[in-house]
Amino acid sequence: MTQTMRRGAPEKVHPVPRPRRRGRLLPGLGRFALFALPGLVAYAFFVLVPIGMTAYNSLTNLNPFNPPTRFVGLRNYVTLLSDAEFHQALLNTVIITAIITVLANVGGLLIAMLLDRPTRLYILLRGVFFTPVVLSSVVISVIWQAILTDDGLLNSALRGLGVDEPPGWLSDPDLAIYSIAWIMAWQMLGFCVVVYLAGLQGVPRELSEAAAIDGASALQRFRNVTWPMLAPALTINVVMLLITGFKAYDQIRVITNGGPGNGTTVTMAFQVVQTAFVSNRIGYSSALAAVMLAIVAFISVVVLRFLQKREVSR
Amino acid sequence: MRRTLIFGLAAVLAAAGCGVGETPGAEGGASASAGGKVELSFLVFETPNLNAAFWDAAIARASAKVPEVTIKKLVTPNIDRTAYAKQLDAAGNLPDILQSVNPAGFAQAGKLAPFTDEELKNFIAPKAGAIGGKVYQLPYNTQVIPVVYYNKDMFAKAGITQTPTTYQELLDISKKLKDGGVTPFIVGGGGADTWADMYPLTGTVATDVYRKTPDWLLQRAQGNVKFTDPDFVAAAKKIEDLAKNEYIDPAGLSRSYADTEQAFRDGKGAMYPMGSWFATSADANKPSFEVGAFPWPTDDGSPVTPTFTGGGTLVSATAKNVELAKKWALAFDEDKENNDAFVKADGSIPAIKGYTPPADMGPVYNATVAIYQKGMQEGSIYDAFSQEAGDGALPPGLADKAALGVQDLITGKKNAQQFAEFLDDEYAKATQ
Repeated sequence: MTQTMRRGAPEKVHPVPRPRRRGRLLPGLGRFALFALPGLVAYAFFVLVPIGMTAYNSLTNLNPFNPPTRFVGLRNYVTLLSDAEFHQALLNTVIITAIITVLANVGGLLIAMLLDRPTRLYILLRGVFFTPVVLSSVVISVIWQAILTDDGLLNSALRGLGVDEPPGWLSDPDLAIYSIAWIMAWQMLGFCVVVYLAGLQGVPRELSEAAAIDGASALQRFRNVTWPMLAPALTINVVMLLITGFKAYDQIRVITNGGPGNGTTVTMAFQVVQTAFVSNRIGYSSALAAVMLAIVAFISVVVLRFLQKREVSR
Repeated sequence: MRRTLIFGLAAVLAAAGCGVGETPGAEGGASASAGGKVELSFLVFETPNLNAAFWDAAIARASAKVPEVTIKKLVTPNIDRTAYAKQLDAAGNLPDILQSVNPAGFAQAGKLAPFTDEELKNFIAPKAGAIGGKVYQLPYNTQVIPVVYYNKDMFAKAGITQTPTTYQELLDISKKLKDGGVTPFIVGGGGADTWADMYPLTGTVATDVYRKTPDWLLQRAQGNVKFTDPDFVAAAKKIEDLAKNEYIDPAGLSRSYADTEQAFRDGKGAMYPMGSWFATSADANKPSFEVGAFPWPTDDGSPVTPTFTGGGTLVSATAKNVELAKKWALAFDEDKENNDAFVKADGSIPAIKGYTPPADMGPVYNATVAIYQKGMQEGSIYDAFSQEAGDGALPPGLADKAALGVQDLITGKKNAQQFAEFLDDEYAKATQ
């Protein structure tokens, strides 16, 4: 066989015995399994098992401080259908998610277009805009709390400008949720900037130049050349922001603790933790977590499919 | 290849086996160490007053008295040590000894070891915070909640020469201050410190509800009374009216606990209803004005002193060595130097027989202790609403809900009746 191949006769190469190919493939799979095993074990242990346990707990009245634990079927799910606090938390989560998705995307795109220049200053500015992304959410929250409290920097500045009664950014129940959303959008802005910058750098300059020669205005060039080419970046940003919005917890815990008042800034993730670790109702909080998981998964899949279809059609 | 796979699998299992073997010692927080000593984990919390150096020194003093124990200090990520203890417990890692964690729920679930009468013989109120007749948390100190601390300069400028003894006088003073452009009450509750808004309501519940029915929360647990009953609604109405009259500034609800204290120090309001722990802070870091103190007044001027006694150390029922853990906990809470340190750092009023505070305590602390001692002499000591422990405590999570509800009262989102209905609803949820 070896001699045949050396002679270079192509017709004699075809009858390679299939079992030998299988033999080569299996060791490959074995190695793959070997290297994948630790990751799979970790994934199963830290993701799949907790999800399974949560699903199971959601069907019980588990309260470690009020035994015994009993199987209650779907009672927890029926209860949350009429739970006004859950409805409020869901609404707050949707408001926060919608605001950060729009603000961070629009702001991120505008800043990315401004920074899409290869000079040192602009490269430095990219780092500046990205800094909030790498900072801890707790640190961000403490900084913004200092800015937005009644005696904070913003209101002090407003008072200095002659505003007698500046808004209670964090103490006004009608305003606090928007302050939280603003803070989260600000933190995620840098992420969107970087993703859009990567997208912009993948847009061939010839296309834009050709459109300009054909008489397209700057707006038309953006609409018909740049924006369609940014579709993958939009997909990444939207999905990431949706997930960030739906799991909002840290900022709420540090800045408002769900207040001012009952439920004004409570999100689903916050309600899950409070119900489990403050009220000790782990069975019910598991049902809340299961519903939250289902909502996030459903919205993520739908949005992802829609945006990916848009990428293809463009 | 098969050999490679088997070897790899064995390596993974061996690594996993090692990990599991190490877990109980490392995470259980209690293991026998060299020299026959028992290592016990001790959960503490840090505040500006009770900082790391404070705890280290206090632990060293107790450990010197119980040399067979070594302590592994654990620190909560924030001041809410009860919530953190619950998280640790949920993960199967309840520390062996815990400081100032609310025993509600833990005790009923058999997670805490009770102290015997003999062990409690040195405490002034040995049955304080009892659950089912058993005491799980050492009743080592008393706090008066609230005391109304006030800015003497602002009072003098407004022409107020005497502190109020009736509720109407408090309202008159508030009006005078407001008319003079001063916010009468500083109330906080921002950030994670929602609890900091509770103290005016704690005052009105003591004067309007607990004075008539001292075991009101026990009766609530038995279904004999409800939050929507007229007495409780009247207590809440007083807070609603204070806010409506702009005697409490809702903007303060964005202030954290530390910011709230700072606002009082900065002269942003004349009165600061707060727990007695503020006293040593005012003495140690004196504001630019003289601070006075008076108890929350009743309608008829008769005395009511809302207090909480307890707050000490607890021992896990599953501690590595429960008897040694209790011995160490008692040594920690009864140690004179430790109590002196608690007094100086946190304004505590130790409830240990024969204890006397250091002679060099400041005027605000002494004024606070005088309020407490007068209450003791007059028999006017009552529970402090939302601070209770033991059988007469709110169900887990309800104090947090009450604090959020008070924010609604102050911002006008709920009136007193709606607030009371909200508490009844939340009570039902918390106990279902």
